[in-house]
Amino acid sequence: MTISFNINGQPTSLEVDGDTPLLWVVRDMLDLKGTKFGCGKAACGACTLHVDGKAVRSCSYAVKYADGKNITTIEGLSNGDQLHPVQQAWMEEIVPQCGYCQPGFMMATAALLSEIPNPTDEDIDNNIVNVCRCATYYRMRKAIHRAAGLQSKNAKNQPS
Amino acid sequence: MKKAHRAYLAFSLLLALLVFGFSTPRPHPPEPKLPEKSKSTAAELTPEQAFDLMMEVLTHKRCVNCHPADDYPRQGEDSHIHNFGVQRGPDNHGVAALQCQTCHQSENNNHAGVPGAPEWSLAPRKMAWQGLTRVEIARSMLNPENNGGRTLEETVHHLTEHELVLWAWEPGVDANGTPREKPPVPKAEYIKAVKTWAAGGAPIPEE
Amino acid sequence: MSTPKPKKKFSRRKFIVRSTVGVGVAIGATYFTRPLWRRSIAGFVNSAELPYNGSTDEPRLWFEVTADNEVILNSPKVEMGQGTFTGLAQIAADELEVDIQQIKVIHAPTASGNIDGTSTGGSTSISSLWQPLRELAATMREMLKIEAAKQLGTDAAALTVRDGVVAHNGRALTYGEIVKNVTEWEIPETPPLKDVSTYKFVGKPVPRVDLKDKVIGAPMFGMDASLPDMLYGAVVRSERIGATFVGADTSAAEKMPGVVKVVKEPDFVGVVATSQMAAEQAKQAIKAEWATERNWQSEDIEAMIKVGQGDPVTIQKTGRAKRILDNEEDVVTAEFTSPIGAHAQMEPNGAVAHVEGDKATIIMSTQVVNLTRQEVADRLGLAPEDVNIIPTYLGGGFGRRLHTPNAVQAAVLSKAAGKPVKCFFNRREEFQNDTFRPPTHHVLRGVLDKQGKIKAIEHNLSSGDVMFGSPMFPGIAEPVLGADAGAWRGGMIQYEAIPNFRTVSWRVKLPFATSWWRSLGLLANTFAIESFMDELALKAGKDPVQFRLEHIQEDETGHRLREVIKAAADKAGWKDEVVNGRAMGFAASTDARTPCAQVAEVSIENGEIKVHKVTCAIDPGIAVNPDQVRAQCEGSIIMGQSAAMYERMFVKDGQLLPTIYGPYRMALMRDAPKEIDVVILENAEAPGAVGEPPLGPIGAAIANAVFRLTGERLRSLPLAIA
Repeated sequence: MTISFNINGQPTSLEVDGDTPLLWVVRDMLDLKGTKFGCGKAACGACTLHVDGKAVRSCSYAVKYADGKNITTIEGLSNGDQLHPVQQAWMEEIVPQCGYCQPGFMMATAALLSEIPNPTDEDIDNNIVNVCRCATYYRMRKAIHRAAGLQSKNAKNQPS
Repeated sequence: MKKAHRAYLAFSLLLALLVFGFSTPRPHPPEPKLPEKSKSTAAELTPEQAFDLMMEVLTHKRCVNCHPADDYPRQGEDSHIHNFGVQRGPDNHGVAALQCQTCHQSENNNHAGVPGAPEWSLAPRKMAWQGLTRVEIARSMLNPENNGGRTLEETVHHLTEHELVLWAWEPGVDANGTPREKPPVPKAEYIKAVKTWAAGGAPIPEE
Repeated sequence: MSTPKPKKKFSRRKFIVRSTVGVGVAIGATYFTRPLWRRSIAGFVNSAELPYNGSTDEPRLWFEVTADNEVILNSPKVEMGQGTFTGLAQIAADELEVDIQQIKVIHAPTASGNIDGTSTGGSTSISSLWQPLRELAATMREMLKIEAAKQLGTDAAALTVRDGVVAHNGRALTYGEIVKNVTEWEIPETPPLKDVSTYKFVGKPVPRVDLKDKVIGAPMFGMDASLPDMLYGAVVRSERIGATFVGADTSAAEKMPGVVKVVKEPDFVGVVATSQMAAEQAKQAIKAEWATERNWQSEDIEAMIKVGQGDPVTIQKTGRAKRILDNEEDVVTAEFTSPIGAHAQMEPNGAVAHVEGDKATIIMSTQVVNLTRQEVADRLGLAPEDVNIIPTYLGGGFGRRLHTPNAVQAAVLSKAAGKPVKCFFNRREEFQNDTFRPPTHHVLRGVLDKQGKIKAIEHNLSSGDVMFGSPMFPGIAEPVLGADAGAWRGGMIQYEAIPNFRTVSWRVKLPFATSWWRSLGLLANTFAIESFMDELALKAGKDPVQFRLEHIQEDETGHRLREVIKAAADKAGWKDEVVNGRAMGFAASTDARTPCAQVAEVSIENGEIKVHKVTCAIDPGIAVNPDQVRAQCEGSIIMGQSAAMYERMFVKDGQLLPTIYGPYRMALMRDAPKEIDVVILENAEAPGAVGEPPLGPIGAAIANAVFRLTGERLRSLPLAIA
């Protein structure tokens, strides 16, 4: 079937079996490799991206549901060269180790901050349940709080 | 002794081949056994018998897993707390950035083993069934305080036509590719039983 | 423009190039199989500094200067999160006299000729390259200066160098400009190295060199690789322990849409298709037949892993521990166990392979480029030089990629299909075909003297194989070592002031693959020994920290251990009492010469153990990058906590289970301590191991804290309170 959506701002249309996981469409057909395969069972969160601004685990999301929607992947999280506050915070806290799970965590965090701009530790615990085997959780928590600060600072600096 | 040993080895090898020879397909769970009563058709049931039949379904894990008494969905045949400590959230659809729809869509995903149906969510806390007896479930179900102000007719509608409820008969496969167990009463008989029970005045037996 | 090819023979420098470790081991085998020798070998292995073992000491195979004055460092070691690329960049930048920003570290493909002979593992990358890389960089800098002197018409000694710019009397050439005009390199003897105190980057917390790429999602892992016209492969695997492949009915799979080829080999069957999904679905349709001899259960495995079964080797012996413990009264005895552990690294194993005629290219995440190359070459009947392994960033290593049969399978599929093939494990295969951390059983015995000091202590450990059976080591290693040095890692008694101590390692061969898991035996062995030390301290009525200090010998190793113990206790504000429902637990270990001590602050919440804070003191010697030393401590602590508190594989009806995250419970954000305080001591003159030593103490530190809260001594991992 023909599926059309916007991905990272680009209108895209492709011919694909509608039950194909969005993850494989994004990685293999659109060559956006930042979104990772971890488990294929919606268990680890490495494949997290945004569909209409909401966090979705794309390994378990049939591409047919994406028709007509806006998809954002890690490649589209930044605004050109201007890193998203979550990415900026990740840089400042030097979070990644192997780095494989990090795009999924950053996408989940960005989704969290758009719903809860100033998350408490408990909010973080309840919302961010992705898996990181290098166990960078300690720095990730610091980075999430830092990202919240950067985001509100950006918002204040925005001309009204 | 040696000969016997060799024969035993050959036999066990053969047995192993027979039993474990094929990695797929995986063993299916046993077909659900119908309760004795349901062997007669639902139309012949008294409302009391229909109640029993209906409750065979409503107390099944496919229903109760999403009617927990706390803030954690249950999953699996052993009704364990949902992996990763997934939570109910303010509107029964999960928390801010970990919504049910982060993983569950409007249909089962049999590649991933992630179940799905329209409006995938938890029953509101007032509709908790976990830990209740059949009689308590029925009372709660008919109590407008708990059932979202539904009339009996509306309750019957929910029980017999809501896609999320009827998902129980098309529960798909789990992460291992193993089909999920279905309720012990076929869907059509269950629907008839609910209607028979309601038409008979929705009697709730004494505890 | 890159560095020109050499035109002149160069002199040999101090950096030694070895072929394989097997040679030395083989020579040793003839002589060293007697128990006493084995013990001294074990002692040597326990404290040895492992030298770098690689294919080349040619500076131009390590460094490539580009026209825009960037230096590409071809790393024979791989980056799997441990921060090695950053450390290597710092070391090279300081001797090369370039800014850290001018260095770009890449994985050296084997075709580059710069090949690591052993592995990226054992926490040795920085420590083993510390000397060679500085010498190579210093030599490269001198080579550039000699050339610059020629081009500027002056003497090399008169030149100044800074940020990759060579200057003399107001004239300047960048390294990039210098290499453009080189016709013939002159390679000097290794120049003297700079004083460590003058380094600008070594010792500083510079940000990781791969930070930006990893934050913007730049493609870089084995699984991100693709080649033009690439197909997707899948290999059918048994889900049962000990199964051997008999045959397969592939007729259904052959007819499926997208299937290009079904590949039948003597030892496996695979499929090549036009998409990942088509390959996966075709694989499901193949009916493979397997022979299995036994229907294994967890109880069978547990019954095998018992001290007293299998072959014992005494790996450590001072005094007469056994005789004393056999005869004294009031001997304390305790048993401990640890379960089968999965690597569960996030990026599945696999490879992209392209076999064209008598050449093969493999792009993948591997910790053993040389072994991978050899295995692919052997299977395809090619010369190793005709196989190019292109390593990528690893989506986690942890020892899982020290064996890479996936490369061979991808290569076989590619050869059969005549096109590049990408072939990866799915997650279920990843869990069931892991090379697991072996389960262990420990028996500790100890007795105190009248002053409440340990008179004798003995550790008996039983474990599945770690090092033995690994394709990384020749079989000849087994009779030489006697005991599996991976299994007993961390198993020796580190308190050498005790007059009588002894460690015995019992080997058990399990029916499934067990092997290297980050820190090897350290996690389980330290859990057992340091829990037991706590029991003895309490029996002696002494503070556990003081008690440990009392048993440390007066030598350099002892000094370093004593200092980390004191530093951890000081920083944590160590108190052996329960305050507001929280208790502290203490433990220490020495691994690969790096001592580490940790204090865990723990409470019980809703019937579960909750770790609030961990204070960690570590002495890795020179901390090349203190921030990454910290990062390794933080990660090791949480990974160790995860293994100690939650993780467990079991065996049911011949299968290793579970096969997915979640049921294989691991620490998540909510489980990780909210505070981790790391103190770095540098009481050695070179960098030592960092990536694994901090995994040692955490299990025992948590269990020791739990004892203070509940009075219950937890002797099995994963820790669970009754």
